[in-house]
Formats: sequence, C-alpha cells, structure tokens
Amino acid sequence: MDDYECPRCKTTKYRHPSLKLMVNVCGHSLCENCVELLFARGSGSCPECETPLRRSNFRIQQFEDTLVEKEVDIRKRILRDYNKKESDFDTLNEYNDYLEEIETIVFNLMYNTDVEETKLQIEQYKKDNQAVIKKNKSKLSQDENYIDAMLEEEEQQRLDRRRQALEEEKKEKVAKRKHKEDLIDELMFSDLPADHIMATHTAKVPQAAMDGHRAGAATFSSGIRVGVVTSGFLPIPKKDEGEVYHHTELLLTTLGPPAPNEEDIVTAGYMNHVRSEEDKERAGGYTFKLACVRALQDAMQGLFFTPEPHTSLEQEESYNDVA
Amino acid sequence: MFATSTQVKHWIFSSPDELHKCRELANSKFSESHGGAQSHFLQVNEERMLCRHFENVMKEFCVKFQPPMPRNTIATSFAYFKRFFLHNSVMNYHPKHIMLTAVYLACKTEEFNISVAQYVANLPGKREKAADLVLSNELLLMGKLNYQLTVHHPWRPLEGFLIDMKTRLDISDKTVEGFRKGAEDFLDGSLLSEVSLLFPPSHIALAAVVYSAQKQGIQLTSYISDILLASADDAQKGKVLGAVKEVIAVVGNVDRLQRDKVKQIEKKLEICRNQNNNPESSAFKKRKDRELKDDDRRREQKYARQAAQEKREQAQVCGIVDVSK
Repeated sequence: MDDYECPRCKTTKYRHPSLKLMVNVCGHSLCENCVELLFARGSGSCPECETPLRRSNFRIQQFEDTLVEKEVDIRKRILRDYNKKESDFDTLNEYNDYLEEIETIVFNLMYNTDVEETKLQIEQYKKDNQAVIKKNKSKLSQDENYIDAMLEEEEQQRLDRRRQALEEEKKEKVAKRKHKEDLIDELMFSDLPADHIMATHTAKVPQAAMDGHRAGAATFSSGIRVGVVTSGFLPIPKKDEGEVYHHTELLLTTLGPPAPNEEDIVTAGYMNHVRSEEDKERAGGYTFKLACVRALQDAMQGLFFTPEPHTSLEQEESYNDVA
Repeated sequence: MFATSTQVKHWIFSSPDELHKCRELANSKFSESHGGAQSHFLQVNEERMLCRHFENVMKEFCVKFQPPMPRNTIATSFAYFKRFFLHNSVMNYHPKHIMLTAVYLACKTEEFNISVAQYVANLPGKREKAADLVLSNELLLMGKLNYQLTVHHPWRPLEGFLIDMKTRLDISDKTVEGFRKGAEDFLDGSLLSEVSLLFPPSHIALAAVVYSAQKQGIQLTSYISDILLASADDAQKGKVLGAVKEVIAVVGNVDRLQRDKVKQIEKKLEICRNQNNNPESSAFKKRKDRELKDDDRRREQKYARQAAQEKREQAQVCGIVDVSK
C-alpha cells in the first residue's frame, strides 16, 4: 500500500507522503491534486475511460484494488433499488434467485459486459416493482429506529450504573463514620482491654468492605454481558511439562593436565613473572591475570592428545567444485 | 578452546604416512578426472616439492610484508596453505595463487586489518590482476577448508611454558628468558615442516623450549615429568616426551630444496595444469564467459517464471477467467 502512485501525474506516496487517491464510479483512481485540476468546473471526463464524472462523486480510495472500489459503488447503487427482503418471497429458492440476479448485475457492470442490456433490465425492474421499492425504503428506516432505541437504552443503563456507584460510595462513607464512632464509644465505656477491642474492630472492617463490593453487570448493544462470570470455572489446561530438568556440571575437556585458574595465579606466585597491567589497560577491563591464565591454559591443553588415524582420508565436501 | 576445536577433529593426522596418503588420493582424483594417469602429470612427491618451494616463497613474502605481519598471521597462512594441498592437487590449483589467497585470508581471520589495495601493493607486477585473482580465489579456499578457519598456534603455549617454568622451576628468570630466542627461531623454522599437521600446538611449543634449553646445555626432562605432568601416569609422561623428541626430529629434518629440480617441475606443471583454473588460458576465459551467460539466462528464466506465477495467482484471487484462452 505504501508505494501506490497517481496514474496521471505519477506522484508516489514516497515523494508526497500526504498523497490521497480518489476514485469515482468508473473505478479509476486519481490523486487529489489531479482531481482539483481536471474537475475545476465541477464535471469532466475520466482521463482513462472517458466516462463523464462529477467532482462531487469523488471519494477517498479505501482499497488498494480500484476494482473493489468500483464494485462497492455499483453495489450501493443497485441495492438502493433492489431492496426486497426475504419476507417478500414465498420460497427460499425464489429469494436465492433474486440474490443471484443482483450479483449478476453487479458483475456485469463491474467488468463492462452487456452494460446496455443490464441497464435495461434494471429499468424494467424499477418500473415493475415501484410500489415494493418504495415500501421497503421506509422499512429500512425501521431498522434505524431500532438501533436508535438500543443506543438510548444503553445510555440509560450507563446513567443508572453511575447513580448506583455514587450511592454506594455515600453508604460506605456513612458506615465508616459509624464504625469509627462505635470504636470510640466502646473504648470509652467498655471494661475490656483496649488491644482486644482494636483487634475485633479491625477484623470487622474487611468483611464490611467485601459486602459493599458487588460486581456490576453491564450489557452492551452487541449482547455481550461484561463484568459477570457466567459459567463457573474454566478447566485449568493441563500442560505436558516433560521431564524435570536436572542441572549437570558442564564438562571441560582440556586433553591435558589441569591448568591453574585465576586464584591459583595469585597464590602460586605466577604474577611475579608477568608484567602487570597499566592504568590505561585496566580502564578497558584488562588484567594481567587474563593473559597469564590463557597462556598457561593454552600451554597445558592438548598435551595428552595423540592423534588417531582418520577413518576416511577424503575430505567431507561441503563445497561443490567449480571446475 | 583447542581441545574442542576443528583443528583437533579434522586437521591433526597420526603420521606422515597418512598425510602422504591424503595427497596421493588428491593426485589420483585429478588424474582420474583428466583422462587417467598420464606420463606428463606430476607425481605426488613432485607436487610436494613444489608446495615446499612455495612455502619458502610465502615465508619470504610474509617477512618482507609491509606493514610488518604478526607471527600468528604468518602461521595461519601456512596452515591454510598446507591444509588446502592435503586434499587438492597442485595441478588443479596453482600453488602461487593459493599462497597469495591464503595469506590474504589469514590477514582477515587473524584480524590483521589490511585492504586489498594495501595487500597487492606488496606484490610486483600488475596489481589489479593480482587483486582480482586473490578475491576470486578467496571463497574457493574457504570452501575447500570447510570453513574451518580458526587455527591454534604454538606461540601462546610457548609464553605459557616460559611463565610456568619461571614460577615452578627452580631456575632464574634470566635463564628462562634465554630460552626465548632459540624457541622462537625453532617455531619459525617449524613452519616449513609438516609438524603443525601432526602435533597439537602445545607439543610443538614444549619441543621448542626443550630444544632451546638443550642448546644451552640444560635438560628439561625432569621439569616435564615431575612438575608439568606431576598428575599424569608414566605412560602419558612417556608419550609426551616421545612426542617432543619427534617434533624436534621432524623440524630438524627439513632438507634444502634443489633449485634446478623445482624449476623443472614448474615447467612441467605449465603443461599439465588444469587450464580451466588458469586465468591466462583461453579455456578459463571461455568458462567465465559461459558462466556469465548461464547466469544471465538463469536469471531471465527465473524472472519469467516468477512473472507467470504472479499473473496466475492474481487471476486466481480476482476470479478472472481469461477469455482469450
């Protein structure tokens, strides 16, 4: 999607980041600037297919494939007239035939096959079904009414919930104050030791808090209920974890006698025979021990190694001969 | 870690015989692929002599190299050169080219940072041609080495033995430092022998110290058996001492090459070498041309295939049935 370009002025998204492609009913795209330039008078013809177009019908291209844009356009136009419902038909087969007819029309217009015939067909249909079309147009608005009602209901619920929350908060405050007063009263008049009274009171508080905390259920217009767990517990998925990991020390093979490590270097006095590092070197993280240990390890390694005869004298080829 | 390296696994052989067999195999492979053994082909020992000659040339080249080359780099280039001609015949790849490539590759792997331009500035003759040659052979060399490019050398072990002796042996630091010069010369000389293909670097380093000490009349046998290998059993001690003696013998037995014989072999090589790998031959040019053309053709075919595939996929996605077909 990043590298689309205007077919007329060849501007690309790369060169002009805010480039917006527009399409009209014919399904050929043009960039915003070209539209402004070509349709300065409000109408003109498409530079590619010469279809007469209005400027007001240009809209921003949403799909990369302009064919899809064209189809969306055509479908919208066709469905304005072909607006029968399933209930307008006697059998399911008839309804399906009707739907297929729509698809055929859309397809024909999209690929410009039998355009004239199709147009005639649409005209004919319009004439024959005028009454039904008009009736169904008003029916559509019923759907809209329904959606409006749903939205209103949702708003109402939201307000309800808010009021409830406020009330609860108030109640909690009152309870807290009362609890405090009770405590003071008891401390003033009771014979029990103060520690004991304090303990019983603090135990009461979390319980009260629990009571006040109720899960608020909410219903969204999509029908999904949020905030309530409906079906108990989900089974905990069992995972096959395999065998338990046991750590084993890594084996260091040196093929030689044991070499001194960094501590031995200091205790056995190796450092007396090595140049110690300068300040400059220490800044880089170097210590004389590193070099000393490495030299000694390298010296000891492989001392016990005796080469075995190779099983195959031929080299395993990982490389194909060019010649 | 030397003990787990590819050097231990693949590049240390049990005896000079085994090395010889490897070379024989490479030689016979070449003659098989070029119409059976013929009298004008090089024999294995002739190939070896030529390799040794170029090892000498390589050493001279490395020593004179500007900026001066570290010893590790030199030793690595020797290792690459030797390893390469274990499994490849001189008649197939000219040792002169492999030598230059080996040194260049070693400069890279041993982090002796140098550009091709700088590198070929050390060569007489046409520089662009040399650079071209080195670069075109580089991948071949790496491939033939099975990309096993890390090589362990005796220099650091030598340092380790010197430190160890100063610390654990009852001997003055000055005496030990006295061994250094002789040991380093020994190691330099060892490059011209096959010792690096037969022994681990620690044996070679130990042999260098022992050899150098012997020259000054000091025996290190007790150091080896009582201090260095105190934890080992007698059989192991015997093995190490034997290996040290062997290393000294192998390095000491490097004989001088006869100039006139080498010249003869070089002439012979010009006749029997694989012309496909000779950049001056017409066969080589033809091959390169063919490869280029093949490449072009393959690329074109690939693009055509891709385009057709894309078209088909697009048609499938859109559900368009091509009416013309």
